[in-house]
Amino acid sequence: MGWAVDVADLLGATFRLATPVVLAAIGGLVSFHAGIMNVAMEGFMLISAFTAVLVSYYAGAWAGVLVAVAVCLAFSALYALFVVDLQSDGFAIGFALNILATGLTIYLVRILGTDIFNSPEIQPLPHLGIRALAASPILNAILNGHSVTVYVTPVLVWAMSAVLYRTPFGAHLRAAGEAPAALAASGVSPRRVRYAASLICGAFCGMAGAHLSLGYLTQFIRDMTAGRGFMALAAILVGRGRPAATALVGLLFAASEAISMKIQAYAAPQFALMLPYVVTIIAVTFMSGKPKKNVSSAPEETAETATE
Amino acid sequence: MGRGSEAWNDMATFIVAFAVALLMGAVVIAATGSSPWDAYRAALRAAAGSGYRFLNTLCNTTVLIMTGMACSVAFNSGIQNIGAEGQLYLGAFAAAMAGLIRGIPAFVHVPLTLAVAACAGAVWALMPGILRASRGTNEVVVTLMMNYIAVLLCSYFVNYPFRNAAATWPETAMIEASARLPYLHPLSRFNGSFFVALACVVMIVFINRRTRTGYEWRMVGLNERACTVAGIVPGKVMLQAMIVSGAIAGLAGGAEVIGVRHRFMDAFSPGYGMTGVLIALVARNNPVSVALVAFIFSLVKTGAGGMELVADVPAELSEILLTLIVFMLAAQRSLRGTLRAARTQQHAGR
Repeated sequence: MGWAVDVADLLGATFRLATPVVLAAIGGLVSFHAGIMNVAMEGFMLISAFTAVLVSYYAGAWAGVLVAVAVCLAFSALYALFVVDLQSDGFAIGFALNILATGLTIYLVRILGTDIFNSPEIQPLPHLGIRALAASPILNAILNGHSVTVYVTPVLVWAMSAVLYRTPFGAHLRAAGEAPAALAASGVSPRRVRYAASLICGAFCGMAGAHLSLGYLTQFIRDMTAGRGFMALAAILVGRGRPAATALVGLLFAASEAISMKIQAYAAPQFALMLPYVVTIIAVTFMSGKPKKNVSSAPEETAETATE
Repeated sequence: MGRGSEAWNDMATFIVAFAVALLMGAVVIAATGSSPWDAYRAALRAAAGSGYRFLNTLCNTTVLIMTGMACSVAFNSGIQNIGAEGQLYLGAFAAAMAGLIRGIPAFVHVPLTLAVAACAGAVWALMPGILRASRGTNEVVVTLMMNYIAVLLCSYFVNYPFRNAAATWPETAMIEASARLPYLHPLSRFNGSFFVALACVVMIVFINRRTRTGYEWRMVGLNERACTVAGIVPGKVMLQAMIVSGAIAGLAGGAEVIGVRHRFMDAFSPGYGMTGVLIALVARNNPVSVALVAFIFSLVKTGAGGMELVADVPAELSEILLTLIVFMLAAQRSLRGTLRAARTQQHAGR
């Protein structure tokens, strides 16, 4: 039975580690469908992880999540202002936002003092569990005792695929990416759809960041996102923007992260830590195939802007 | 509009962006309880207050010129290589290894070490290049992941098999004197690698302006599909650019080792490769602009160190300032584009 509990532990850790990547990816695929490849998710997550800890220290976990999402929305509005309205290069703006996030968070940590950011007074997100499952050690390890975001994430994945494929807004989103001129002709502004997509992406990255810093560790460490924003991007590419497939790829990355944490005791930690990055490269190389849609990091000239 | 006035326009745009970024930085400093005036004065003194300080700033410029060049070569041919950081680490480590070889005269050892560094960087860039060229794999994701892998790999090397047991920090043994570039001033770390960086700039200017290769890089960057029609194979050209890009980034690491540190140290780079991306973006891939922008960025970063010591403002303010420059430039460029479009439309209307 020992090994079964080990595997169950691993699965439990996978769910916990998948949550930030999957949340960010689910948000990112909205802007992916609208024709924007958002490379700033890494920075968005980092800023919201920082904000969540800071606010949770003073006002509790829920306030932390709310303010983190709000701050992330502000940054994604800035991103949209440049990429959608000013027609700037999305790669340049996204990359600059990532560096800004790194610099700004470290700057503020040093101004405010590191004590706040690993204080025991930071409130974690509430952890849930089903009492009936506690009787079985295996189910208990897999499904119980996660923070609330872990349980919300699959619901959001399901909701996102419903929105994407069963609502007018979902159709508008995909049209904004594939045929902006047709969308404009049908009376819907591609600009508005892209703004909405960027903000939705920001909100999800905000939740992802809050989970990262309040879900388990309840602390903020410099560069604690460690490439998860780009793993989310990879998950979107591999899942070709379909929510369920994207989430599954996120789970795969998280499983490699969980295994990497397990084997750190047996191998040189550097090699163990490489595993998720290697798995990500393998996945984007062999599973994403040739891109069908021409998705660039900046939206193409739309009919709307061309005629203005 | 001639080529000259375009350059002046770019210069003016940059100066405005820099000034606005400094103003916004001043607001940040004031908001966090320090005096912007004192902070900026301390920064200016630290970066250019005396001869040797200025030479230190130039020394810090060296590695930034090269990472900036590395990124701009890739961007210019349409590859978003953000892997300069990893290529830099591999180059630095390879240089530290080559520098340990004994009994080679300096006039062979220095070029050999630099060549090994360039090769290591190129090898690290090869895989993302091949994947991009042959399968269309997204190079942003791959190069970024390879940065993490490179840092971890070098960290393993320097913590276990190649660790200098006498040092407290994980680092290699000191390289042989024959592999070092001597400091050129007694008080500063300024050394010959600065001229290696300038040589890189000259080389890329030459390739871009005078060779078929440079023309192909530019064409592939502008329009991949049209190139296929014109008989250029985009994949081949991209791979070529990626190899050159990786080699320059590796060279940057090698220069840092043989010129400044004389050994490989774990986690030695404060994001030189990432700053290189910003430099290339600001300089719009023009090699001469890359050198100038790298110098200004180095002034800001070196100054920020002094600002932290004297005025108690964290040095990370420099990262904030540099990204603000990118935002201000993007805003101005977009504004200029809109104005120009409006003007042409007016003419068309008449």
